[in-house]
Amino acid sequence: MKRILVIDDAATVRLYHRSILEELGFEVTEAVNGLEALERVAEGDFDLYLVDINMPKLDGYGFLRELRGKDMPQAPAIMVSTEAGANDQKLAFLSGANLYIVKPVRPERLASHVLTLLGMTPNGRGAPS
Amino acid sequence: MNPLLDQFITEGRDILQTIGERLLQLEDTPDDSALMGELFRLVHTLKGNSGLFDLPEMTRVLHAAEDLMDAVRDGRRPFDRPVADRLLEAMDFVLALIDEIGDSAEAAPPNTARHANDALELANALRGLLAAAQATTPTATETEPAATPAPSPAPAAMPLEALPSRIQQELTQRLEAGEPLCWLTYEPEEECFFKGEDPFHQILQLGEPCWRRVSSREDWPPLAELDAYRCILRFEAILNTPAEALHEHFRYIPEQVRIIPLQPPAPTSASSSEPPPDAETTWSFNVVLEAQREILGLTDNPPWLSGRLRAVATTLEAAFASIGQVVERDALEQALHSADASHSSQPLLNWLDEQQRRGDTQLPTAASPPGAPAEDIAPPPEAQEPQEPIKFGRRAEDRLAGHTLKVDQAKVDRLMNLIGEMVVTKNALPYLANRAEEVFGTRELAREIKAQYGIINRIAEEMQDAIMQIRMMPVSFVLQRFPRLVRDTARKLGKEVRLVMEGESTEADKNIIEALADPLVHIVRNSLDHGLESPAERSAAGKPTEGRLTISARQESDRVVIEISDDGRGIDPDRIRRKAYERGLIGEPELERLTDQEAINLVFAAGFSTAEQVSDLSGRGVGMDVVRNAIACVNGAVELHSQLGQGTRLRLSLPLSMAVTNVMIIESAGQRFGVPMDRVAETVRVARNDIRTIKRRLTTVLRGRLVPLVTLNDLLALTIEQVPNDDDEFAVLVVRIGADHLGIIVDDCRETVDIILKPLGGVLAGLGGYAGSALLGDGSVLLVLNPRELL
Repeated sequence: MKRILVIDDAATVRLYHRSILEELGFEVTEAVNGLEALERVAEGDFDLYLVDINMPKLDGYGFLRELRGKDMPQAPAIMVSTEAGANDQKLAFLSGANLYIVKPVRPERLASHVLTLLGMTPNGRGAPS
Repeated sequence: MNPLLDQFITEGRDILQTIGERLLQLEDTPDDSALMGELFRLVHTLKGNSGLFDLPEMTRVLHAAEDLMDAVRDGRRPFDRPVADRLLEAMDFVLALIDEIGDSAEAAPPNTARHANDALELANALRGLLAAAQATTPTATETEPAATPAPSPAPAAMPLEALPSRIQQELTQRLEAGEPLCWLTYEPEEECFFKGEDPFHQILQLGEPCWRRVSSREDWPPLAELDAYRCILRFEAILNTPAEALHEHFRYIPEQVRIIPLQPPAPTSASSSEPPPDAETTWSFNVVLEAQREILGLTDNPPWLSGRLRAVATTLEAAFASIGQVVERDALEQALHSADASHSSQPLLNWLDEQQRRGDTQLPTAASPPGAPAEDIAPPPEAQEPQEPIKFGRRAEDRLAGHTLKVDQAKVDRLMNLIGEMVVTKNALPYLANRAEEVFGTRELAREIKAQYGIINRIAEEMQDAIMQIRMMPVSFVLQRFPRLVRDTARKLGKEVRLVMEGESTEADKNIIEALADPLVHIVRNSLDHGLESPAERSAAGKPTEGRLTISARQESDRVVIEISDDGRGIDPDRIRRKAYERGLIGEPELERLTDQEAINLVFAAGFSTAEQVSDLSGRGVGMDVVRNAIACVNGAVELHSQLGQGTRLRLSLPLSMAVTNVMIIESAGQRFGVPMDRVAETVRVARNDIRTIKRRLTTVLRGRLVPLVTLNDLLALTIEQVPNDDDEFAVLVVRIGADHLGIIVDDCRETVDIILKPLGGVLAGLGGYAGSALLGDGSVLLVLNPRELL
């Protein structure tokens, strides 16, 4: 089963993402900031990261830079932000994100991106029951 | 209520609480950038959370607050009092909304549209502060997210096909000419008319469109059932307006619009011949591919470049797999390797171009058999695993993040009640042992029952202690509102007050803490209103203009002590004497005789209020007697000390817990009564000869002190003599009443027991002199006396 790490300091957002991702049948792990996320990464590989930007201790940019600096299989990362500026997207890409999306994310849209980044074929995208 | 909303409310309240605290801290240290950063992050998080629900009013206010905080954080606007006031006001509004949502039992958040005007005003006020500060800086931070982060290659073919061919042609020409055409779909929410929105006006304001259509989102009901105030329209238009401008235009209702920039039709056949796998998939694929191109186009050369490139390679492989396109692993590996070696993205870009070129011809056929998973795309081992249905609770134990459990108060209360019952029930065992011995004549069994009772007793006590610990709450629970209350009240009164709080982490039982809340507010308001002087008065008295109000909490043996002190004008005992005399609370002789301390204590007398004029703050017709009674209800005591011109200190002393009461059982007139042990100073036997009558009152001398005596039967209005023991000695219960001791003559003093005190209910509720009743182990009811009221 594909494992996804959801990193966000807001419990509400984590719950939102978790509910969407679990419905798609993925295994979701949570982290409340970049530091904790790095600990989770040290414990096991993930197939995808969902990263918030603004977080205490270590923010999303910092986490991605650390992650991309590691000698390990590099899974795609989606940066989830509330800013829709082009510059914000560039900052995300510079630090190692592969996709930049803006909150609030519609469930279908998030699902679509996640499936694409996990390489799921269209028939794998059955409507969630 | 659904769990997500529940979570949102809980977290929202926490965040608002913290925001309030940080704002007040920031007022003291306006240059603390870390604090500012945290504040911004909190507001930002809350805004993000609110966006998950249909709460446009809340989001609107928070968005404005966030922008203002952003400006403050960046130094575009100084943090000053107007900013603090506005932000606090905004947070109060949000809290009110959250409370409203929390109160509703609906699964979805209730419609908060009637607050729309307030929200708009607040948001405008916040933005007003912002605009004043940055008349030169354009509000660039201001594009509310809609749907697409980057101008994406949208599935233009899909919507355009439905259009008449004449318009299609025209559009194609204009697109090829480079016009920034956008497809706009605007579905106003059903209640939009009640929010003062005018969808038609919105659309008209956009200017002349290339094409426009208005349709209904659902079938029109029969005319008789038609609700004209429900908007079910869908507006669609193709406009010669950049997407950014459209986003700006609809920035308050981004969730109701969909804006798709149109692209010239691709030269390939992909868009017109075979339909792509599905619109959403293709769209995602294109967005992801575009993003990777942009990433590969970055020219920086960070230390983590290698990781970035590998992530891009993984992403690309997955993206192609998602539309059913085979990727040659070797070629990709090779491109990645040479990119890594040369610190350049070019090899990967070349690979991507090549892959896309091949894909364009391959795509239609590859995607057509939708049932066959592409098994040759060399996926990670588990990629083709069938999708398992969700299993709730799976790996739940791995996920417990913290070591703190949030439990509903009601559950703990229930536990507390149960352990209370158990404490009482276990007390039946000694009775049972006695019966075994005396009625059934089996001493052996009696002994075993007693031994077993010892064990059960110990466990029950430990359990009770453990549950009591759960109920312990820090005093900060009630203190946390004071910074705000003091700040607002002081401003209203035109006073300068510095609030100092100490020992907020001191813990006590939840009931005690809750009982403290109202008296404390009253005391603090009193201090602010009557105690502390105006700045002018203070400087005239040679004091610093800023008054000082201290609230400190600490634990002293098994009691919590809360002290509220100010350095205000203090209480004038002469004025109190005069007032008390005027109100008939004391007679002329007392006027002379009362010590200053005794005079000051008169403020606790019922019907005494020192306020010369009733103010809207503390002069609400309730005086300090209300405070004292509220504290007395939880077995607490109040002491007041005051030094004229120096200040006033109020000391509240409360038990740590009140769930179980230890009472002494006494006998009088053939009945048993209970007296709370914390009132009992001692029990003594006094010989009849040692009881004297002074001024027709019974007294005796105990350890060189004169103690007045009363008989319980007198107090209970029973005309029976108290019964002495065989040596003609009376049992005397010495109780504390305030600072004085009083002996109550009873027939006999018995054992002490732990009981759960239940207040008297129904018609007995008004019965003075009794603290309540309790069930004893043998099933009988024990009336518990309240000596203070009895006298």
